[in-house]
Amino acid sequence: MRNVSRTAKAADHVFRVVAGFCASSPAVFLLLIAGIVLYQSLPVMHFMGWQFVTHTRWDLGNLYGAMVKKNGVTAPVGASYGGLVFIVGTLLSSAIALVIAVPISILTAVILAYRVRGAIAWILSILVELLAGIPSVVIGLWGILVLVPWVSASLAPFLKSVLGFIPFFGGQVGSGYGLLASGIVLAMMIVPIITATARDLLLQVPLLAREGGLGVGMTTWEVVRYISLPYVRDGLIGAIALGWGRAMGETMAVLMVSGNAMNILPSNLYSPISTMAAFIADQLDSAQTDASGMAVHALSELALVLLVITLATNLLARWLVRPRLGRKKAGVAS
Amino acid sequence: MKRRRRRSALSYLGWSVAWLAAALVLFGLFDLLVSVVWHGVRSFHFGMLFTPTQGVAGGLENALLGTFELVLIAVVFAAPLGILGGVYTSEFAGRRMAAAIRFLAEVLSGVPSIVIGYFGYLLLVLQFHWGFSALAGGIALTLIMLPYILRTTDTSLQQVPHLQREAAWALGMTRSQAIAKAIWRPAAGGIATGLLLAIAIGLGETAPLLYTAGWNANNPSLQLTHAQVGYLTYVAYTYLDQPYQAARNLAYAAAFVLLVVILIIQLLVRGLVWRTTNRLQGRH
Amino acid sequence: MKLHHTKWFAGAAVFSAWIAVSGCGTTATNNSSNITTKSVENTAANQSAAKTTATVSLSETGSSLLYPLFNTEWIPAYHKVQPSVQITAASTGSGTGISDATAGTVDIGASDAYMADAQMAQTPGMLNIPVAISAQQVMYNLPGVKGHIHLNGAVLAQIYEGKVTYWDDKNIRALNPGVSLPHQLIKPVYRSDGSGDTFLFTQYLSHASANWSQQYGYGTSISWPGLATAIGAKGNDGVVAALSKTKYSVGYVGISWLDKAVQAGLAYAALQNRAGQYVLPTTSNIQAAAAAVKQVPSDERVSLIDEPGADSYPIINFEYLIVKKTQPSASTAHALQGFLKWAIDPAKGNAATFLTPVHFLPLPANIFTKSQAQIAQITG
Repeated sequence: MRNVSRTAKAADHVFRVVAGFCASSPAVFLLLIAGIVLYQSLPVMHFMGWQFVTHTRWDLGNLYGAMVKKNGVTAPVGASYGGLVFIVGTLLSSAIALVIAVPISILTAVILAYRVRGAIAWILSILVELLAGIPSVVIGLWGILVLVPWVSASLAPFLKSVLGFIPFFGGQVGSGYGLLASGIVLAMMIVPIITATARDLLLQVPLLAREGGLGVGMTTWEVVRYISLPYVRDGLIGAIALGWGRAMGETMAVLMVSGNAMNILPSNLYSPISTMAAFIADQLDSAQTDASGMAVHALSELALVLLVITLATNLLARWLVRPRLGRKKAGVAS
Repeated sequence: MKRRRRRSALSYLGWSVAWLAAALVLFGLFDLLVSVVWHGVRSFHFGMLFTPTQGVAGGLENALLGTFELVLIAVVFAAPLGILGGVYTSEFAGRRMAAAIRFLAEVLSGVPSIVIGYFGYLLLVLQFHWGFSALAGGIALTLIMLPYILRTTDTSLQQVPHLQREAAWALGMTRSQAIAKAIWRPAAGGIATGLLLAIAIGLGETAPLLYTAGWNANNPSLQLTHAQVGYLTYVAYTYLDQPYQAARNLAYAAAFVLLVVILIIQLLVRGLVWRTTNRLQGRH
Repeated sequence: MKLHHTKWFAGAAVFSAWIAVSGCGTTATNNSSNITTKSVENTAANQSAAKTTATVSLSETGSSLLYPLFNTEWIPAYHKVQPSVQITAASTGSGTGISDATAGTVDIGASDAYMADAQMAQTPGMLNIPVAISAQQVMYNLPGVKGHIHLNGAVLAQIYEGKVTYWDDKNIRALNPGVSLPHQLIKPVYRSDGSGDTFLFTQYLSHASANWSQQYGYGTSISWPGLATAIGAKGNDGVVAALSKTKYSVGYVGISWLDKAVQAGLAYAALQNRAGQYVLPTTSNIQAAAAAVKQVPSDERVSLIDEPGADSYPIINFEYLIVKKTQPSASTAHALQGFLKWAIDPAKGNAATFLTPVHFLPLPANIFTKSQAQIAQITG
């Protein structure tokens, strides 16, 4: 055995400090993001107050007119920053995505966990993960090329004729760009997330419990229904919350198929909408045009609201997944 | 007897619906791949890789090089931060500290990408007066890629048996020497996988770049600030909405190139995972 | 793998941390290289050499209305005249053109709208230089309807407000006796990006409708009334694409896109002018309106909407190139002045061979002198 030299000790110390510094970077970045976004939205908070989340009118005001002062903040005449349309759009489109994605993902996970084996299971799992890796702009492209025409020509008229008596399903079918298309595109994006987590959870259900079910005369389906799924319920809810957070923060694919609605709340399933994320991405120009800088602050507050909502759902998801899944998730690629 | 038949019919129905759901997911994936590849193959030609964008047509050289530059900058920042951060989490931090770092990394990965982009706009583009630039875009991508690299480094190191560490310490190595000389080896495959996946994610991002990188029809210069950069996802997003076939072809080609590159990386990753798991199993 | 060198590791980490933390510092060092003076190949390797050679590169972004003239007519032509000046153009919308020019990320911002007073106050030292006269037409996709339907500002305002929702509404029929209009929902298309065309169109609406003027006003981007049928599109190109894709739609398109849009199966309306006549955006009608322009201030920021005269087409405007008075270097200033002088010269850039394909008109003589005076103010 050889002695540890002083230089080696010093190097060890330096390495530890540097690595510790790197490990703190996520915390630093999070604080920085939250701090900057909050700080930049202060003027609009003063200007609008709670009306920012209760009003539907988003108006940069007359950029060629005079400035007015309200609550100590200078803004163009007629300016009004009401984000309710985008908050509603975000919540509704992600809710529709969940309605579509949750049953599909869980059922697919059941198949992946219990019905396929060996090479086929491997290939199917890879395909699902592949879907997770497709850039959202490519999914948006597919949305414009394939999904939107199909929604406007077939799906929307079909839903209207079958379920039209329910208020939200009736009314104008629209151009295909809108709430329904956004929900489907978002579902595409969260299915792999929920499926992968649900499959991992289902694989952790003890074999003994499942065999016990078969032993008392249950059919294989009943075992899934009454033993496996209840066993992983908390984890599943966590996975769903995770997917929900992802759906609310998704930008490009929604931007491309949402119809970019402004100043109007959706009246039915086919109405054009806009989400907070998509609207921020869409408003680059106006943020640059407003000489008073208020447009930049207003978008900043929208980013803040989005950040708070997605972080809250994420925290909820972590909290739900934590106890049972523990740190056992091994696969690097999942 | 009747009840049993009803139950087995229900079981049959349940499984059929489940298979249907799985088929639907696969159908969605194939429909997506086929339509993007179909449009892409018909619009793509190799000359596009060597011509920059000209007006509404031309090629993708500027966007390809720009994407490459942005991801390179992001890797330069995110790889050391993520790998060293992961090393610290796995090897140095106490149980509580490690849990906190993992938690924060996961929270960071949950921040919507447009919020990261807008943050970059507020801080780097406006506050620091960098303008739309490669550095601003690269740093925005860093924030996207960092948590993935950190987490995969951490998990791969966690899988290295504790015995290997003890053996290295017994030889009189300090902790960092043990990491640098011994422990990293079995984890390297996992770390490389994480890095590759992070690169694949970075390549496909649009939202963090809209407000930070801007757009440039010329090939990128090596100027880090005050020069806008083009990138592939921008072409796919913007050129799709134009009334010219040439512009739309460019968008299809951009999406196609993006998809191919990302698929290659994904397959590479599978290969790596397959090799390392095989090797580990061989050793046991 | 590069992982076994602890020193390299630590060094890289410290370096990256330093850059990340002291972001401002890098600005100063990078800034010293000239942003506008680029070599022909635009590669960084040649960047230091660029200052010694005479080659100057000018970049333009902005108005999608000016873009066809700039990109397909002026750039190739000017390259023959002055091969040492390399110009690149991009169609991004006037809003971006103005903000890029004021931020200094491009040398020339193209805009159909002049800068607002607030913008001028915020970024002093900007010049709004008219280089041509343009117009805007209202286009629609009405299968089966021949000829040009008649529209006016008041009815268009009602359409965009959602008060007139069907093509066979009595207000539209009143303007078009004898034309059989379909009972179909009107789908108004607007520009979702900051646009000079929006500025012109909403000015026309504000002139005709007091309600529009009060509720929505005018600007490069306004808060459009919330309509389930409305479609937002990016750029003139986007509007033409949306109109041709969507039956029973109506929208506003810059005149340089007229031929493209007509090829795409769209028709354009005869608009009511101040004298109450319905006029088409023909060369003579645009000319009549341009001739009626009387008062132009020396900074040339002025609206040309609704000029008097029986033949005057109501929506015409100056196409502005927006540049900084003080350029980063004498060579850029010189190149820029050279190009601008060439562009407004009636025998050169303003010649009919360039302007006619995009339906623009040359600057009238009195405007030409004013633009010339502004160009003379550019210094390096």
